[in-house]
Amino acid sequence: MFMSLHESELHKLIDCIVTSHYDDCLDCESCARELDCLAERVAMGAKINDLLPEVATHLCCCRDCFEEFEALVAILRAENSGQLDAIG
Amino acid sequence: MLERNFFIPMTDRSNEQWLAELTGAPDAQARALEDLRHRLQRGIFYYLSRERSDLTHLSGQELGQMAEDLAQDATLRVIDNLDSFRGDSRFTTWATKIAVRLAISDLRRSRYKDFSLDGLTAEGEVLPASTGDTFPANTAPTPENATERADVMLKIERALREALTERQYQALSAVALQDVPLEIVAERLGTNRNALYKLLHDARRKLRQSLEAQGLTTDYMLKLFEE
Ligand SMILES: [Zn+2]
Repeated sequence: MFMSLHESELHKLIDCIVTSHYDDCLDCESCARELDCLAERVAMGAKINDLLPEVATHLCCCRDCFEEFEALVAILRAENSGQLDAIG
Repeated sequence: MLERNFFIPMTDRSNEQWLAELTGAPDAQARALEDLRHRLQRGIFYYLSRERSDLTHLSGQELGQMAEDLAQDATLRVIDNLDSFRGDSRFTTWATKIAVRLAISDLRRSRYKDFSLDGLTAEGEVLPASTGDTFPANTAPTPENATERADVMLKIERALREALTERQYQALSAVALQDVPLEIVAERLGTNRNALYKLLHDARRKLRQSLEAQGLTTDYMLKLFEE
């Protein structure tokens, strides 16, 4: 079976090449270790790039870690704003 | 005495108190475990019900049950990993991180339960001929750049075939083109996510080097295909 590459896929491929970097960047495990601390500060309004640029770089090119980071930030924001109390 | 189902006070323990109680005397431990489980359940329920557009077909009750099961598993995992808590964040944030990872992993596994890497191969024709049917009408190449695009497609095809190993090709196709989570692809490849991330990192770098060696910079490709 042959893959057939459509325009959207071509864009994805180019994007993934563009976001690649030559330097050795953080792996998923190292990223995960920093995620709680980082998410806590981002939920309070800080910018990732100002805090841990190497983690920010990893999050840009790793969808799995990014999804987990976003979920954690969303929960923390809800918690900070009292929305979780409404859940009971 | 408070009815637990009605209201569990989320007394904010310090990190030290959490650790002391979770590893302490049975009564205090049971209370701390229940508070932790409840707290994780709330967070997971919020995430499932408010942040997941793919779960809107489930009822509140179904989501509640999912959140309860996941919180139960997450609490056990937190307890198993207490030694690795470094204290850089609030304890509950760290525990929520573990719960989030578990919940998302679970969702990924159920969504991609039938996914297979079979058929993702660089053998044969990788890219179709770059003719009109590859492009939607509104972005159809102009005659001036049609040849240029076709040429670039051929070079990308060559890079995919020649620069990457079969394993790299499969991984990159699944992750970058089909949007399959790394975690799922790693499982299918019999490796772990960390190792797969590194493999993909190498694959992307090799692909980029191969394209650059053929005279294609990323800026040029972006311009050519994004106009
Ligand atoms: Zn990652």
